Amino acid sequence: METQKPARRRETEDRRHEGIVSGVEGFNERGRKAARDKELHDSVELFTGKAVAARNAVLHALPEAPELRKRAYRIKQETMANLDRYLEQMADNVEARGGKVFFAEDGEAVVRYIGDLARRKGAKVVTKSKSMATEEIELNRRLEEDYADLDLEIVETDLGEWIAQLAGDHPSHIVGPILHMNRKRITEVLSQAAGEELPPDVEALGSFARKRLREKFLAADIGVTGANFGVAETGTVATITNEGNARLVTSVPPVHVIVMGIEKLVPRFEDLSVFVRLLARSGTGQKLTVYTNFITGPRDEGELDGAEELHLILMDNGRSKLLGTEFEEALYCIRCGACLNVCPVYRQTGGHAYGSTYSGPIGAVITPLLKGQKDAKDLPHASSLCGACWEACPVGIPLHELLLKLRNQQVEEGMKGKGETLAFKGFENTMKNPALYKISGKAGRLVQKPLKKDGSVRPLPGPLGAWTDSRDLPPLAEKPFRDLWKEGI
Amino acid sequence: MAGRTEFLETIRHRTQAGRYKPTHAPDVAWTPKDEPRESAWIEDPPARFLEELEVLGGHGRRVTTLEEAREYVLALAREREAKLLVRWDVPELEELGVDRPLGDEGVEVALWRNLEDFREVAGRADIGLSTARWAIAETGSLVLEGGPGRGRTVTLLPPTHVAVVSVEGVLRTVPEAIGKYAGGEAGGLPANVSFHTGPSRSGDIEMSIFVGMHGPGDVHVILVG
Repeated sequence: METQKPARRRETEDRRHEGIVSGVEGFNERGRKAARDKELHDSVELFTGKAVAARNAVLHALPEAPELRKRAYRIKQETMANLDRYLEQMADNVEARGGKVFFAEDGEAVVRYIGDLARRKGAKVVTKSKSMATEEIELNRRLEEDYADLDLEIVETDLGEWIAQLAGDHPSHIVGPILHMNRKRITEVLSQAAGEELPPDVEALGSFARKRLREKFLAADIGVTGANFGVAETGTVATITNEGNARLVTSVPPVHVIVMGIEKLVPRFEDLSVFVRLLARSGTGQKLTVYTNFITGPRDEGELDGAEELHLILMDNGRSKLLGTEFEEALYCIRCGACLNVCPVYRQTGGHAYGSTYSGPIGAVITPLLKGQKDAKDLPHASSLCGACWEACPVGIPLHELLLKLRNQQVEEGMKGKGETLAFKGFENTMKNPALYKISGKAGRLVQKPLKKDGSVRPLPGPLGAWTDSRDLPPLAEKPFRDLWKEGI
Repeated sequence: MAGRTEFLETIRHRTQAGRYKPTHAPDVAWTPKDEPRESAWIEDPPARFLEELEVLGGHGRRVTTLEEAREYVLALAREREAKLLVRWDVPELEELGVDRPLGDEGVEVALWRNLEDFREVAGRADIGLSTARWAIAETGSLVLEGGPGRGRTVTLLPPTHVAVVSVEGVLRTVPEAIGKYAGGEAGGLPANVSFHTGPSRSGDIEMSIFVGMHGPGDVHVILVG
């Protein structure tokens, strides 16, 4: 369909190649650029400010919140320690309920499975509910390219995700996919889809989207969702949305495909009472998300709606490598986005600077882990290590510590350039020698003159560039503190 | 399935490598505990339910008789100028007895049974009428179970959803509701259980709330008893 083609981008590039599978450009350059983008900054500030306030209010009102956080951590710890057993139990229970289960080692296997299924079913329209797992493997793009002969119309149905799809863009936040777009830009994108000028108000834009997407919901042959949680004990999958799109994607088409990361499991149904509350309160500041939907197998005997056929794809895609390692806790994440909202780096740069599916502190941790450190080596440095992320995490993942461990690993593997290693060596020697320290300050003030600009020091030339590549260097004061102190300040 | 055995074997191997045991359980204080506003105990669950539902933008009323509930539905159908109402095919709604009076007023009533094309019927309906297995006071949620006669899309596709729920079905908290389905028998759960908490909404455009995004924007709950 014509309307599904990505609209021409105004200034940004095609972002459909930014899943975990594609290479990621350096964070530093993107981050620097993003931090200067006033419009982007305003949009990010609006979202994160409101999100943090709403989250704080609703969590403060829950007396048992700290207790829930502890329980969530323990449940995930238990899950990961026995993941093979719980996965097997999950698979057995889904099959006992008449569903099909497929274990996918990577994104490629998922694309093949869904593409072949679509071919067998003669599917034309596929509706999707927002899923980070499918973003990660660039499912839409790969299906369109690798199965071009099927001429599939793949439609994202979350409002923000759909707008991103129309614009050839990708989500910049786990929960608020298009928080980087202001209303003006959204109006442009939707007007193009409508083939007419739409007024820039939320009522008109939302109504147009409702009407257009309703046609797609009703026409769909296959519905694809992610999973917020999977329950091993019952074979249940939870899909959680405010718009109701996952509920429709799982209720209308005859075939439902779930792409679930293997870390999304919880052992027992009762564990959901911990997680659904934490997710709603931490993610969107609600007591409960509007549609908290539990699917256990295909439709029951005698039901008129709900999928007749259910396929659960349990996807690894690099996750199991973290099991039993010092990075295992990164798998506890429930994708609420709270760590993004509080992160001083994310709040300056927005999500696209991270160059991949997952942004913010959790993105800085799992992107290098899933992709390999070499392909994302700036990311562990995209943090001030202030620990706000850990404080906000409803599962208590020590994100700042994981970032530090990643940096350590880089040093151990000799991934930092020679220049930075040399510079640190020099720094160490200088600090040990007061005379040298004094001289170096004077020399520094002289040397920085040609580099100083806008209150920070421009990138250093030569091998020293490795240091300023990843951080802005504050200029040395005109007069050192040591001298001011002597003069009685 | 060879793939499956291999897949699980790899994971078993990795989990049991035992090189590292996470020890960072969050034992630190989390989230300031200035005086909690939600008391753990809810004195009057039906009253609290109605309160929470209003906050979400839904409408609720407690009535004592089935006649009052019927009147509510009829008045709503008039107000919405409904042409088609689709309803669950369950004894409680049979008893409610709205079919005949609605028909008299020219409103078509479709029952959720033997439908040739459920998409067309639910998609065209102005009002969806259902019951709910439970309601949750703490959050203003309805707990809907799918099953024969109990269509999922009845509560989703029409712009207005009305649920008739007995006051005995009002639970206090989310854990209490989830507890009704916990306990281990894999066979015991309905294929679909869904918690609906107020009208459908989206905040994707500059965080301004658009009500009625994909599901109903107009939600009514009548508590009977």
